[in-house]
Amino acid sequence: MRPIISAPTTVPTTVPLAGAESFEILNLVRTERSTTRQELERESELGTATGGRAPRLVRFSAERANILVATLNQTALGVGIADLTGRLKMEHHEEADLTGPVSALCDRLTTLFRWIIDRQEDRHDLWGISISTPGAVVDGTETRFHLSTPPVLPGWESFPIVERLVEAFDAPVWLRSSVETMTMGELHAGAGIGHRTMLFVKVGKRIGAGLVSDGSLFRGAQGAVGLIGSVPVTNGERTGTLESMAGSDAIAEEGRAAGERGQSPVIADFLRRGHEITAIEVAQAAQMGDRAAIEILSQSGRLIGQVVATLANMLNPEIIVLSGSIAQTNDILLAAAREAIYGASHPLVSRDLQIIRSQMGSSSGLVGAAITAAEGLFAPATLREWIMAVRPQAHPLFADMKRRISEKPAGKGTVHPPATTKGKR
Amino acid sequence: MTITGLGPHGERAAAPERVLLLPEDMARARASSLRVAIVLHTTTSDWARQLLAGLVGTLGACGVVVIDVADCAFAPEAQIEALDRLIREAPAAIISLPVANAKVAEAHKRVAAAGIRLVLLDNVPTGLLPSKDYVSLISADNFGLGKMAAESLSAHLPPGARIGVLGYDADFFATNEREIAFVKWMQINRPDLDITVRRFSALADAAETTHALLELVPDMAGLFAVWDTPATAAARVFEAAGKSVPITTIDLGRDAAIGLAAGGPIVAIAAQQPFRQGQTAASTTVTALLGRPPPAWVALPGIAVTPDNVVESFQSVWQSPAPRELLRKKKLVR
Repeated sequence: MRPIISAPTTVPTTVPLAGAESFEILNLVRTERSTTRQELERESELGTATGGRAPRLVRFSAERANILVATLNQTALGVGIADLTGRLKMEHHEEADLTGPVSALCDRLTTLFRWIIDRQEDRHDLWGISISTPGAVVDGTETRFHLSTPPVLPGWESFPIVERLVEAFDAPVWLRSSVETMTMGELHAGAGIGHRTMLFVKVGKRIGAGLVSDGSLFRGAQGAVGLIGSVPVTNGERTGTLESMAGSDAIAEEGRAAGERGQSPVIADFLRRGHEITAIEVAQAAQMGDRAAIEILSQSGRLIGQVVATLANMLNPEIIVLSGSIAQTNDILLAAAREAIYGASHPLVSRDLQIIRSQMGSSSGLVGAAITAAEGLFAPATLREWIMAVRPQAHPLFADMKRRISEKPAGKGTVHPPATTKGKR
Repeated sequence: MTITGLGPHGERAAAPERVLLLPEDMARARASSLRVAIVLHTTTSDWARQLLAGLVGTLGACGVVVIDVADCAFAPEAQIEALDRLIREAPAAIISLPVANAKVAEAHKRVAAAGIRLVLLDNVPTGLLPSKDYVSLISADNFGLGKMAAESLSAHLPPGARIGVLGYDADFFATNEREIAFVKWMQINRPDLDITVRRFSALADAAETTHALLELVPDMAGLFAVWDTPATAAARVFEAAGKSVPITTIDLGRDAAIGLAAGGPIVAIAAQQPFRQGQTAASTTVTALLGRPPPAWVALPGIAVTPDNVVESFQSVWQSPAPRELLRKKKLVR
């Protein structure tokens, strides 16, 4: 599938164009003005007429340009390159310390982006950079690229990572929270395909949710939707946030304690072998039939399910997707969450409700980041500002931003990648 | 030894012990009359032979019948044809080493779509996802191997040296990880170095690419090649040019091992463990067929091989005595 210039913002739908700007685009195609004719492809299909002649649908070729994508979490960094539909062409992941200096993170990101561009055989332009971050990206604009670095992580207020990336790659930059990008990835390329209302729940050290309403990501007033990890829950006499009671740290801690107390023979055996006990080990012990580990995961699933059931009753989703390495590899947590959600949902809500694990794993963040950028590029309000020049770099706000970024002397490079004959980057 | 890399989708590595088969698992497998097929890039290299030995032997011990071992001769078309043919045979699982990326992705997706468990070796075509399209990836810790090669080359490099990297111009998880890790380790620990990267797209071009590197960096003080065959080709280029350039590489091939024992130019090797990788792939497959989801990525640590431990490392990696020439170089026989 190729992105379609459409209204209001979604790329892969066949909504006909509307408004003066789209008229200009169509005219450009109809009059066959040569420069743009080469860039745009006219589809033979016609949209639904709303009176008068049916609008002609126009698509950009998915291969027209690339998008660089990255995911950041507390311990790892992932990078990739995708086409305009979000299809990943290459990805790489490595350990990273997000508590280190932002400049070091930016340098590493730049190095890996350069490496991945250098490895592409195609000659495509770079149209965007989209990064999935561990925290919410508080930003009033819905789809437009960033004009400065928002304070997403500690230290970012004093280090202009967005500006540095623009300077290095001459492409607009989008930042979104990891749960938002994963939701987008799952919606467009995973379990959410074909669904209009989806609740996505990521279970890890943090627990967060993403909401798709009427086929689009709902970002709330400030881009901070779905911080369900902060909801207080009670388990017996203990009360705490959902994250602290059911997240992967809680699973690991309880598993370790069960092993040390001798209640979990499998975890005790892991400990004897010198294995570090993380939630993954507890999940493996549970899969091997260890009763204490099964109870820990069931408890986590029940607590998550209780909170998600409240959301389900409120939002009436078609599908709930549980993601994160534990939820995806462990049937016990998934089963407990399902039981809690179905048990506490109104019959009308649970009647056709599907609760499944993510179909994408950790790639959903990279794919979703690419789709975020593609949707941003093709959102009519943004598109009309650059379409006549046929490259998003021509957007006046982006051009202004580049002017603002003071020119700095290039640092001494010590790694020389192969000479490239590839296209503009 | 810890695994330093992350999996193709950012997965944390699981150790081979995590798919250890207990006697009762093997008994259940034997009672299940399982059939599997194997699809490899080649069956003629030392690495492939050792992998197959570990793989087929362990499957045999579990009563799992290997119905075919397809040799694709590195050709994506042959791999696609083999996968489609084997899908029709309907084995319980197919164990495959994808020889390319996008070209073979769809054929590999068809395996899982046909209800056959797919276990991958060394490489995951982009777009294939664990638990959806494949069960598990079994590979060496290629990131760790790259770091190991960097660390051992660093000891041979004077401050401010200019070095070369002989990379592989294909989108292949294993070689990508090695190159990235080598350069990253050097950038962090030896920021004084100047690194030039050139990549060959076919093995036959390795010597030519080395020449190109030498022209760019005439005073090259060290070289890293992403596996041993191009490393030995580069060594011949240096020898012909009358240059003494220390080389580190990955994979303890016979020629590379002999070169290492002879005192150079290969000065250190980070070795994979193909026999153990084969055994691990077999137990991962059996684990999956018994209905227990194995980890998405099982990684085997590398072995740092120096002239001092080359003989015992050879025995351990290849499960066979070191070649006589290697023993002679080490003055262990006459």
